[in-house]
Amino acid sequence: MSEPMARRRILVDYRIQASRCVDCGRTYFPPKFFCNTEGRRSRMNTVDYFNSKGTLISSTVIRKPTNKFLHLGSFISGIVSFEEGNVQVPGRITDYAPPDGELDMNDFIGRGVVPRFRRLYTDGFQGLIYYSSLNFSFEGDYYPHQRYVKSEPATVNERPGIVGYGVYLPKFRIKNEEEIGLGVVERTVPFADEDTTTFAVEAGKRALIHAGIDSKYVKKCFLGSESTPYAVKPSMATVCQALQLGEEYEGGFFSGGVDSQFACKAATDHFIDAAALVAYSTFGGEYVMVIGSDNAQAARNDPLDYTVGAGAASFLFGRRDVIATLDYYVPYTSDTPDFYRRDGEKYPRHGGRFTGDPAYFKHVVTALKTTLKVSGLAPGDIRFVVCHSPNAKFPYQAAVEAGFEKEQIEHGLVVRQIGNLYSGSSPTALAAVLDLAEPGDRIIMTSYGSGAGSESYIFTVTKEIEKKHDRSISVKQQIENPHKQYVDYNTYRTWKELS
Amino acid sequence: MKNTVCSKAKPYAAIIGAGRTNFREQWYKDPEKLLMEAGIGAVESVDSGLRRRDIQACFFGSFLYQATNKLGLVPGYMARELGINIPMNTTEAACASGGSAFYNACIAIKSGMYDVVLVGGFEKMTDGSSKIIDELMFAADPHEFDAGFTFSGLYAAMMARYIHDHGHNDRRCIEALAQISCKNHHHAVNNEYAQFRREITVQDVLKSPLIADPVRLLHCSPISDGAAGVILANPEIAKEYTDTPIYVVAGQQATDDVSLCTRESLTGIKSTRLALDKALKGLSMEDFQIAEVHDCFTIEEAMFLEDSGFYERGKAWESVYESYESYKGSKHIPYVKEGAELIVNPGGGLKADGHPVGATGVRQIYECFKQLRMEAGKHQVEVDGDLNLALCHNIGGTGGIATVHVLARGI
Repeated sequence: MSEPMARRRILVDYRIQASRCVDCGRTYFPPKFFCNTEGRRSRMNTVDYFNSKGTLISSTVIRKPTNKFLHLGSFISGIVSFEEGNVQVPGRITDYAPPDGELDMNDFIGRGVVPRFRRLYTDGFQGLIYYSSLNFSFEGDYYPHQRYVKSEPATVNERPGIVGYGVYLPKFRIKNEEEIGLGVVERTVPFADEDTTTFAVEAGKRALIHAGIDSKYVKKCFLGSESTPYAVKPSMATVCQALQLGEEYEGGFFSGGVDSQFACKAATDHFIDAAALVAYSTFGGEYVMVIGSDNAQAARNDPLDYTVGAGAASFLFGRRDVIATLDYYVPYTSDTPDFYRRDGEKYPRHGGRFTGDPAYFKHVVTALKTTLKVSGLAPGDIRFVVCHSPNAKFPYQAAVEAGFEKEQIEHGLVVRQIGNLYSGSSPTALAAVLDLAEPGDRIIMTSYGSGAGSESYIFTVTKEIEKKHDRSISVKQQIENPHKQYVDYNTYRTWKELS
Repeated sequence: MKNTVCSKAKPYAAIIGAGRTNFREQWYKDPEKLLMEAGIGAVESVDSGLRRRDIQACFFGSFLYQATNKLGLVPGYMARELGINIPMNTTEAACASGGSAFYNACIAIKSGMYDVVLVGGFEKMTDGSSKIIDELMFAADPHEFDAGFTFSGLYAAMMARYIHDHGHNDRRCIEALAQISCKNHHHAVNNEYAQFRREITVQDVLKSPLIADPVRLLHCSPISDGAAGVILANPEIAKEYTDTPIYVVAGQQATDDVSLCTRESLTGIKSTRLALDKALKGLSMEDFQIAEVHDCFTIEEAMFLEDSGFYERGKAWESVYESYESYKGSKHIPYVKEGAELIVNPGGGLKADGHPVGATGVRQIYECFKQLRMEAGKHQVEVDGDLNLALCHNIGGTGGIATVHVLARGI
């Protein structure tokens, strides 16, 4: 596929865009500019099915795929109907590896399916990567369908903060053997068609649903990651296009943003920027999205290979219907060569035990203690403490050293069940405690990025959080989801390296 | 017996000669050489002789030559091969390229523009066998490719829905869709040009490797190389070339969405129905003794039997099963309906004769020409009385285009 073909396809495929006749309602995919029934002068509206739920009307197991899909092995492709047959689209079932024996395809006809933004294929190692939302997972499986309801904001806060968040953890997991992984029991594994960009889209989608805001009011998106699929080409732009961030104009959007890199704190570093922007009149936008997303990289059999996970967390900052105000911010940075990846290298290198002390602990503990000092708060004034979690021991040890108790730390230690999400690590832990938080609770979050730096934030939870709890797919729900599926080491490596 | 309906209308054209190559992998032959072999075969088969310079135009059909064979401007190649500099054009309509080229040639003859034309269909698929699964998807909507579909996958989705809607969990439905393969293999045993000249059993089909559930390897037509050619003439002068021209008494083409997903139904082909409705005016399928049906996958043959009205919607599999089970060991296995018998794909069809995509539509004409002239050799259909009427049905993609031609021995 060429670049212009790719661009044309993006406009339709990212949102499953169709055209609907204003007069008779007949809907066409792919879109066309007049209705066959009403004639050439019919008026057509653009509709999309990005947030819809469909029904599988027929399917097959592709066992001898085209060369472009060989990397997926066998998979189900089918025909999906929306709005009781008003429009039908082709789609591939994702997050599902069919068994070797023949399947009775009768069992699949009529099943509900949910669109997923996934990678299709690439033009070799040098060419473009193609994405689409014409991929579906089964309703009632791991991934629930959520309605996207846009509501009018009710309250305006003087102080900006978080207005919504979303976490996406892949369906697949690998278990660690005992005594390896420093307290990490199991980890999230990307399916073969997932990558950092698809995680980011899913997390962003959930954040919009949780916040209940119209995506056109999001004027900036920061995407922090150290595993974006392109060295040069922003994943943020893909997220923007898929989620329609900003006012639409001729296929583009009036919004900005960047991909950023600072090892594991690439996303959290932008929390303060996001909060500052929405409070700055010249910015002229209502909301800023910050996403931490990583398919955490590790070489085969490296110690990191037993702690890395995959997933993303997205936070929306604004001043309307804020669920947690951002009250304090303390950054701390030094040039510490504890962990690095040279350009063109596939996997990071690290300094072994030196990544703990003086790298991680020095920065995290300094930021934690200084934030308490600046805020005038004591550890007892904080309900939850969240630290970047390369494993389960480091954040616990750092928090204890800063004066916190086990019960304050425990709820944020989701690393045990999901692994280290790199840029998504502390944001996911923050989401996990926000899932439990009540109005008035204070949360301190300290991120860490190798290279090295930390920043601490103190958030205060507002009563708005109660209105939005039921729109969230909590981190705990994802960790305990009965449909999660374990894979063996070789599958984990294969899928991870495809991403 | 002359058909009274056909006799009222002036035929579109007359077929006066036909030739073909073997259908199978042909490692040492370029595509244009295959086409040349079939075309010259057609020229040389004309009873009273035909000179190259008598041919006034050529109509070629092929699908993937640009991608698979790195070939373009087929007319230029064929001007070189044939050594003549007459009007030539190439039609691409996926698997219906041959049928569409033939349709265009009939229009050209009927218009009075030409008196004698050559129609040729060809495909050399094995030149690009490593990419052929991908390239066949040029005949589908790109979204279907991006959904991971293959061509066998698209037909499997049709078959799955057919079994779901009409199979009623009856094992005989699955077996009937395998019997279609067995029947076509049986027909090919005596066809000297066919790719697969061996019998297979229902169990062979149902134990063959899964390609796209429920489609298995032996439900599928093969990858083939080959070409076929026919000579078409103005009916008024046809007898100058042969005493037994075969007349094209009706020819129709119809189209539908390229994408299977946007069709009205997954268990029938609208373009087939539209083309048949126009082509069969005054006729019904019971009037035919033989039919060449586009059996790229067995489900397509079953759907044709319903689209054509020969069997009731949703009931074809039951009648296929009963017809096959009542087979008594004759050379051909007819489909039976209230005393009427229809032999479908007497030379093995796409499944067993082979399916070099662009050649198929012309090969179907070749087969019916030979059958109606009683020149089909060991696989000649034997019926009580004369063979008079034959039908050729060729579709492209998953039904984005269909051609139907009615051939008659006498008018």
